[in-house]
Amino acid sequence: MISTPAPSPARLSMTQVLLCGAFIVTLSMGIRHGFGLWLQPITMDRGWTRETFAFAIAVQNLAWGAAGPFAGGLADRFGAFRVLVVCTLLYALGLVLMGLSTTGLAFMGSAGVMIGLAQSGTTYAVVYGVIGRNVAADKRSWAMGVAAAAGSFGQFLMVPVENGLINGMHLPGGLVLGGVGWQQALFYLGCLSLAIIPLAFGLREPQAPKTSGSHQSVGQALKEAMAYPSFLWLMAGYFVCGFQVVFIGVHMPSYLRDHNLSPNVATTALALIGLFNVIGTYAAGSLGQRMPKRYILSSIYALRSLVIVIFLNVPLTPTSVYVFSAVMGVLWLSTVPPTNAMVAQIFGVQYLSMLGGFVFFSHQIGSFLGVWLGGKLYDVTGSYDIVWWLAVALGIFAALANMPVKESAIVRPTPSPA
Amino acid sequence: MWTVVTLALLLVFAAYLRPDFAMILANQLWSCF
Repeated sequence: MISTPAPSPARLSMTQVLLCGAFIVTLSMGIRHGFGLWLQPITMDRGWTRETFAFAIAVQNLAWGAAGPFAGGLADRFGAFRVLVVCTLLYALGLVLMGLSTTGLAFMGSAGVMIGLAQSGTTYAVVYGVIGRNVAADKRSWAMGVAAAAGSFGQFLMVPVENGLINGMHLPGGLVLGGVGWQQALFYLGCLSLAIIPLAFGLREPQAPKTSGSHQSVGQALKEAMAYPSFLWLMAGYFVCGFQVVFIGVHMPSYLRDHNLSPNVATTALALIGLFNVIGTYAAGSLGQRMPKRYILSSIYALRSLVIVIFLNVPLTPTSVYVFSAVMGVLWLSTVPPTNAMVAQIFGVQYLSMLGGFVFFSHQIGSFLGVWLGGKLYDVTGSYDIVWWLAVALGIFAALANMPVKESAIVRPTPSPA
Repeated sequence: MWTVVTLALLLVFAAYLRPDFAMILANQLWSCF
């Protein structure tokens, strides 16, 4: 006899989970997204090099990825609520200490390690675990799309908001909002991050009953996933996602500058990516309810490669940059809902946060390499050409890698009766 | 609801296009110009 992971009975209302989950990722993803705005004021005030700042942010990204499986495992074991509360406090403390740090080491500890750890417990993996356990399977991909779109909107929204906090936002009629300076702005953001705590009450699950027919331990779940080729293909695809997105996000402005395009073109490109990213993540989640998710992922990766190839082969003009940015925006974080929904579909929802954390770790390694290789190969060759084509090749690889993913629930042997 | 979402997105998009903010973004966020 065999058994498959049975869906858990819904315990929290879908509206409650979606509203609270969406606001949580809006804040947690949004706050960190504008950190680049602090680069100049902090390095100037503290007398640091840009490398000091950049290194702390690199540490933050790696800490976020490396801690993801652990935060996810704790959320699966003790509930997302507790992890959210602890990590929110860490987020707030990290932001305050980021403002108070006067040495590079302290800055790495606060902006890097503390905020990285905080993000691992307040972003997608932990929230998706609650969505997976409380939203019926026939709406799960859509619900994950809503949460991912909220995170994308947070990224889009918080950059101008944080700029307003630091530098002031000039409104019609001579009204100026914010403008409290970089240090106070970090304290305000620390207070804002605490809003996650009341929202976390909305994701507080009752004690999960062992009704899924699965009596796996964490170790067994992990061993099962790591030995399952489809999980490894998903991880490989997500690695490519991280590589492409972060390479483009970090290095495209330099690429545009090298080709004599004005800063305004680059900022409009950033805005277009942000705008279309919201639309793309929601669309990908919704599509996941209607068609096999492996096809969605394969299409996203294949389209990214195709769009990059076209971008590299047409004359570089503001129009070509805007079209490229809009299309890449649609494809930007649209991999998030189908990837996580497939993990839930294959392995069930008992350890969804932990397994989602592992997949995300792969994404972060790709992100790190995208930034680092982009800079390294530019220094060696004097151009980004090799990395662009590497991104194309990786996209083709990811498109192929997702094709053989088996979306059906994994078959587990039923324990023999004693 | 879709109208509200569209308006919110367009409002944020418009914030990016303000010349003062565009230059700050270029100088601080995309600090490579």
